[in-house]
Amino acid sequence: MKIKLTSIMVDDQDKALKFYTEVLGFVKKMEIPVGQYRWLTVVSAEGPSDVELSLEPNANPAGKAFQDAMFKQGIPIAAFEADNLDEEFKRLKELGVVFTQPPTQAGPVAIAICADTCGNLIQLYQPPQG
Amino acid sequence: MIQATAFSRLCRARDTLRDVDSSLSIDQVAREAEVSPFYFIRQFQALFGETPHQYRIRARLELAKDLLESSDCSVTAVCMEVGFSSLGSFSDLFARRIGVSPSVYRRQFRSRVALPGFVPAMEIGCLSLMAGAFAILEKQVAPLSGRLGA
Repeated sequence: MKIKLTSIMVDDQDKALKFYTEVLGFVKKMEIPVGQYRWLTVVSAEGPSDVELSLEPNANPAGKAFQDAMFKQGIPIAAFEADNLDEEFKRLKELGVVFTQPPTQAGPVAIAICADTCGNLIQLYQPPQG
Repeated sequence: MIQATAFSRLCRARDTLRDVDSSLSIDQVAREAEVSPFYFIRQFQALFGETPHQYRIRARLELAKDLLESSDCSVTAVCMEVGFSSLGSFSDLFARRIGVSPSVYRRQFRSRVALPGFVPAMEIGCLSLMAGAFAILEKQVAPLSGRLGA
């Protein structure tokens, strides 16, 4: 068994595709219309065979409530790894991304938290070097 | 960087904009958030990816969709319930954003859920969407592979 797919709920798939590709820099992998929604996934340009991330509509009220509560509590719902967190922070800030936490050292790991414009907070982290 | 207080205020403002019973204007919501309307719109858009006005409209249309799917309210009642005062402008906006008029949306939704064995679209919001997507893909590809196999 492998971990090849995970998902994140988004409040609007168009908005999400724009943010996850044009701002974060991921690449669209799948886009299949299903009724009024789409099966929509992205992968990292740096690791196209890594885990696939599905951008799922948060049309289920239970999902909406969970997403909303986590956001208000300032809790990130997903984490993406960066080779150089300071550089990513600078790049994303210039693109207008809102950070609730700047790069902060937490032991051997550096973390930062930003909003994905689709109702989620995302943690970016730089793993320990070496 | 956004400070925790400003973040909480923007979250509260988003709740207000989602509340169809709230008749506050965007300027009034900005005042409640204790920022100028200009700064409020800019900050809101950076955090939530759309302007307060766009967010309010989308939230109302989403609620309208829920009501059309799950209630027997007339289209006029749905229109009033989600905070629109003109049926014409509600129906026009709904058709522009969703692709079909409110009554057609309801008919299409009910005909879908009436099909035996079909998972209703209401359940979307989990990985079940994947099954639908690949079933559709298979149907599109099957005639071709059928011909190739023959």
